[in-house]
Amino acid sequence: MNGSSERSLPYLFLGPALLVMLLVVVYPFGYNIWISLTNMNLYHLRDPTFLGFEHYRNILGEPELVAVFIKTVLWTVVNIFFHVTIGTALALLLNQEIRGRSVFRALLILPWAMPQYITALTWRGMFNFEYGQVNLILTEWFGFEAIPWFGSETWAFTAAILTNIWLGFPFMMIVALGGLQSIPEEMYEAARIDGAGRWQRMREITLPLLRPVMVPAILLGTIWTFNNLNVIWLVTNGGEPADKSHILVSQVYKAAFTYYRYGYAAAFSMVIFLILLVLVIVYMRQTRATERVY
Amino acid sequence: MQNRYFRGFLSGLIVVVGCMGAVLQAGCAGEKAADAGPIEIVLWEMMDPQERELLLQNITAFEAEHPDVKITAAHFGVEDVRNQFLTAALGGGGPDIIYGPSDQVGPLSAAGTLRPVEELFGAAFFERFHELTRIELNGHLWSVPEQFGNHLVLVYNRALINTPPADTDEMIRMAKASMVDADGDGKIDRYGLVFESKEPFWLAPWIGAFGGWVMNDENEPTLDTPAMASALEFCRELKATHGVIPQDCDYELADTLFREGRAAMIVNGPWSWKGYRDAGIEIGISSIPRMTSTNAWPTPMVSYRGYSISASCDDDKLEVVRAVVEFLTGADVQRQYAEKIGALPSLLELQGSDLIARDPVLAGSMEQVLRGQRMPIVPEMRAVWDAMRPALQNVMNGESAPAAAAKEMQKMATKKIAEMRS
Amino acid sequence: MKRPLLYLLISAITLAAIYPILVVIGISLRPAGSLYSTSLALIPAGASLEAYRVVLFEKPFGRWLANSAAVSLLVTIVGVALASTAGYAFSRFRFRGRTVGMAMFLVTQMFPATMLLLPLYVLMRNLGLTDSLPGLAVAYSATALPFCVWTMKGYFDSIPAALEEAALVDGAGRFGTFVRIILPLSAPALAITALFSFMAGWSEFIVARVVLSSQELYTLPLGLESLSNSFQTEWANYSAGAILVSIPVVVVFLMMNRFLVSGLTVGGIKD
Repeated sequence: MNGSSERSLPYLFLGPALLVMLLVVVYPFGYNIWISLTNMNLYHLRDPTFLGFEHYRNILGEPELVAVFIKTVLWTVVNIFFHVTIGTALALLLNQEIRGRSVFRALLILPWAMPQYITALTWRGMFNFEYGQVNLILTEWFGFEAIPWFGSETWAFTAAILTNIWLGFPFMMIVALGGLQSIPEEMYEAARIDGAGRWQRMREITLPLLRPVMVPAILLGTIWTFNNLNVIWLVTNGGEPADKSHILVSQVYKAAFTYYRYGYAAAFSMVIFLILLVLVIVYMRQTRATERVY
Repeated sequence: MQNRYFRGFLSGLIVVVGCMGAVLQAGCAGEKAADAGPIEIVLWEMMDPQERELLLQNITAFEAEHPDVKITAAHFGVEDVRNQFLTAALGGGGPDIIYGPSDQVGPLSAAGTLRPVEELFGAAFFERFHELTRIELNGHLWSVPEQFGNHLVLVYNRALINTPPADTDEMIRMAKASMVDADGDGKIDRYGLVFESKEPFWLAPWIGAFGGWVMNDENEPTLDTPAMASALEFCRELKATHGVIPQDCDYELADTLFREGRAAMIVNGPWSWKGYRDAGIEIGISSIPRMTSTNAWPTPMVSYRGYSISASCDDDKLEVVRAVVEFLTGADVQRQYAEKIGALPSLLELQGSDLIARDPVLAGSMEQVLRGQRMPIVPEMRAVWDAMRPALQNVMNGESAPAAAAKEMQKMATKKIAEMRS
Repeated sequence: MKRPLLYLLISAITLAAIYPILVVIGISLRPAGSLYSTSLALIPAGASLEAYRVVLFEKPFGRWLANSAAVSLLVTIVGVALASTAGYAFSRFRFRGRTVGMAMFLVTQMFPATMLLLPLYVLMRNLGLTDSLPGLAVAYSATALPFCVWTMKGYFDSIPAALEEAALVDGAGRFGTFVRIILPLSAPALAITALFSFMAGWSEFIVARVVLSSQELYTLPLGLESLSNSFQTEWANYSAGAILVSIPVVVVFLMMNRFLVSGLTVGGIKD
């Protein structure tokens, strides 16, 4: 092997994937940066003129921006926390040798397998005040008061989060199941010989060794959830009650598709993009996600 | 050795991915090369499955008479057809003809993606259509109306209601009388009246009943009015004071209850009637009853659907496009739609015919249309809807008083319209 | 934990988790086709399989299925091939631009997707990829790759470098070690990558709507959407369709599931 070919090797390995990404992503991204600096809207769809950073100034000057940002962070953190804990716990349960575990696994991926549109709307129906199954179960089985799910901001947000947790845990479960297979059995045996208990083995072997596979899933899960408009939009029917159930990306969607304010929507997208970029850089510094564990 | 193969493999992958686009492009170009064939017209629509079936039959009939024309119809959802059309127009693609609701021409014409239709058909052509179906915007007409209506009516379950109520007081009385709590658990098993109580489209009839409307003739929002406050108060009372409509009543709940025979009356549009009949409900159609306090008729929003012509349609195709649209909005086709689907014709000659008179559903629907008010087609209406929705929900949830909500609506609508233009 | 207790626990969790799925099944059996239910009964009065008959036999369901399968298989092949090679580069080589490259894959996911639709359409049109299934597959590959590349990289990281160093010393070359040593050890990650790539486009609607317009090319989500009326959705048909759509996903999962059991992994081969 000569030196120069060894040096070009990684680029060859990387090339195809990179090419696909560049092909599909670079142009749309550049296009958005451009229109975010123009007045492109319904009345200037084909003849946008350069505007500079006016949209950005307007966005950063919006009084509600901080509140919606905090809500978006809350939405993301709560969802990811439950996705990962529920997913990992189920993966640990279903990694044991028990009869019929493929059946359990297959059933548990159903929330992920079924088209989100129908399941999210079904959940909306389940949260109906008078007829929804959630309130029926709460009142008839447990004797609680019926909850006005879409009558208050907090409950509507909770309903959307519950739905999204349900939609997202199977994905983390599958990833964790894969990660568990990378842990060599010998390590457990060695630990057992050293007298480590079940809990100790979990804490010192399983969880740390799950990390390399879970970190990317958590990282991407965070990004996707931060921008996951569908679920909250479908469950709250576009912002019930009274437009209070919105996350940052809802503004982009409304600006683009209700008002055709393409320039503003693109600028808002850039703001979201930059927020996420900062959050993820901080996270990657903390977890050293690009480095090896061994 | 193996390194070399692997390098070959990876380079191969890169080449394959890179060529994918080029190959496909060549493939598409090859298909387009055969331009000696018929004139191809592309039409996008958002029709319901049954309507689409009729459309396809009519297209086949047209093609049989014009062998040199080939029409391709592509289907989209209501929102998709508009958004896709704009996207395609920006990308330099899209259809020659687009079919849709009247309010879609607002944004599409503002964006400069449509051709004025009166230039192609001549102003006289449109005199045959009902005046509510030819609404000008910026001095032009933007679509040829094919059907008329899309308005709310009072639908009642004939098994529970004999004669529809004459005024709103009677409607409330009948609704109360139809409410049933069969097992006495304090939960209502059958409601008297249901309708989507969170969407402003269902508020519109009541605004008119108090003498107000959402926009004036200059297309400026007129939301902060006593009429708006009264309409909001009326809806709030239906739920809070009279308790005739359910707590958390959105479209799907109202629809479900009526289908299951667990609601005596529903306010809903023509799109829903077939589903009720399929569910075994014998329905009656009547106008939404007179408001007792004002003695005025509620005025549901009346709109129409029709064909618009893309600005990017080639000039040499225009004559064929005109023939296609004229055929698809002609008397024969409209008669078919009325008889088979229950769509109201937009042509005056058919509106007076016994086609309407002999069918009680069409007649009831027609009666209501003539009591309605036109839905504004300007793009700013989107901001008005969006401003009305949260305020309406706040009133229904008891979070704000009707007068304050009306004020808030006007403020938000003005703000959002200004933003649209910025 | 004791076996019966374990079973009880797993069964209870599974039942709770699939309850909404049972509700969807209930909707698909409803003769009146409404979305909401007004009782806790899962099987509605007058339940019928009519919706399944309509979706399967009155509509070109087979064609939609074939189109979706073609797109998803293409995405799966591209996803697995490209993600494993790229993941390997990130895991095993230290080269200029490595960290930036890894971050790049993440960064592409951060921009709100709704705003990418318009330029994506313009781009696809210029490349002649609109209204074509391979064009759709390229778009989906771009959504699948970032996760797949990172997952493969993470998994490769957990395979001790000593294993392939031995092989390299034996003169196997990079290609040989990658294919013969690393890939077989990575079966679980490859399974996840395959499953995820498959799912990236399987029930995706928005991009498909932008890219495709010919009815002959409709994928399952587009086909199902065309069943609904403009204001009124036939929920029974829609739910029946959704259930039919999720069956192939479960089948693919079960095919991959055999790689998600311990015993054929690092430990097993090391002996």
